[in-house]
Amino acid sequence: MTVKALQLVTVLVALALWELVARLGWVDPLFVPAPSAVAPALVQIGGGALAGLADTLGKTALAYVLSVVLGVAAGIAVGSVRLLRDVLSPYVIALYGIPKILVLPWIVLLLGYGTTPAVFYGTLHGFFPIMVLVMGAVRDVDRTLVTVARSLGASTWQLYYKVLLPAIVPSVLAGMRLGIVFCLLGVLVVEMFAGLRGMGHLLSSFANGFQAPELFAATALVSAASIVIVLALDHVNEKLSSWRG
Amino acid sequence: MKVLGLRLALLALLVAAWEIAGRTMNPLLGVPPSAVLPALRDLLLLRSYPDLPASLALTVREIATAYALAVAAGVGCGFMLGMHRLVGRVWGPMLAALYAVPAVVWYPSLMLFFGLDAASKIAFGFLLGFFPVALAVLAGIRQVNPQLVVVARAYGAGTVTVFRRVMLPAMMFTLVGGLRTGLALCVIGVIVGEILGSKAGMGALINHAYGLLRTGDYVALVLVTLILVVGSDVLASTVERRARRWTE
Repeated sequence: MTVKALQLVTVLVALALWELVARLGWVDPLFVPAPSAVAPALVQIGGGALAGLADTLGKTALAYVLSVVLGVAAGIAVGSVRLLRDVLSPYVIALYGIPKILVLPWIVLLLGYGTTPAVFYGTLHGFFPIMVLVMGAVRDVDRTLVTVARSLGASTWQLYYKVLLPAIVPSVLAGMRLGIVFCLLGVLVVEMFAGLRGMGHLLSSFANGFQAPELFAATALVSAASIVIVLALDHVNEKLSSWRG
Repeated sequence: MKVLGLRLALLALLVAAWEIAGRTMNPLLGVPPSAVLPALRDLLLLRSYPDLPASLALTVREIATAYALAVAAGVGCGFMLGMHRLVGRVWGPMLAALYAVPAVVWYPSLMLFFGLDAASKIAFGFLLGFFPVALAVLAGIRQVNPQLVVVARAYGAGTVTVFRRVMLPAMMFTLVGGLRTGLALCVIGVIVGEILGSKAGMGALINHAYGLLRTGDYVALVLVTLILVVGSDVLASTVERRARRWTE
């Protein structure tokens, strides 16, 4: 309770300080507007910004579904075959680690502007962390469980369905928690680099137009949306893990 | 041995597939390896981009500055949150919530505030590198067994000794992991910043080659940048291994 109250106080004090600094003229309002100037801007950009946010979140959702499905499938496939895992894992780790922004110009050349490159790049961002986590989880499944299931006559299908899948659920959930931020990041980057719609495009056009209050309002809106999404996922995660026991 | 052979075979297969795909594609889009090599040679001999050394140096300087700031602020902030229980409980979750925001949303504001030059890239690299360092310090401090600290104090160890002999070794594993992630993110932040908007640096060269559809030069520039990325991570992992051996 005190923690919640103190967090609220922190936010309020920060906002008050920011307002004070802006009012005293310590920062140029052209670049850093006061909170009292951002709030009306939020109302003013309201409709357009919400449409942009919906557009961005739609692309993110598509990229996210693709990343989770492909990432989990690839993670299980590569993780459960020893040879495949040994051969492929350095490549997977390398692809996970390199900055994907370097291939973005080429993706845009290939796929053009708009929705397709955003979904593709978002999927590229979300896929690897999920795949790496699931791959590791499949590798670490207790061998005894597999041996026992086999000796009791489980078919390959049953082995996957009854032993492997339940064992990797926590890692899949962790991957899903990590993946959403990566997907959103990827979609926003493409919208900034080569977007026609969406929040990323809106943010960079406000910045290019020196519309600082609108820019801050839009930034706050995207940040709030992503915090809400992540906290909601955390909540679902907790519910599920308490249900698993 | 067999695994290594298969890995190399796969690599050769990928390069061959790239060559075939690159030749059949529109030459503005597809650049086969056989076309990358001459472009790379021209680049390294400073024929296509004479300002390559200056751009590379600028990008390295931006990364170094951003990382130094991120480590200083991250360690400071992590200790502040870790050493005071209440501060940690109040601000720790807020820090974690901010970490959940895709950092790129801050970049347009940074660009507006710091301009198109190096400062906005340093600020963005700093922002990306700061969080893993701060969170690693915080997690590391929470791993220290408080009984060890109490015992050391009871035997008359001063603050500095407690820190050096008890806390640092216990934290080291988590700390160096965070420092390595922080460096990787600083590198990514600076490069993302340069590609999203800059006048100089490797990202500006990449954008220039891309904008003029000089795809061969673009691929060569990406390869040079990748060497920078991989080099920084190799350096970080060497330091990481040293540090972990020191604590054992």
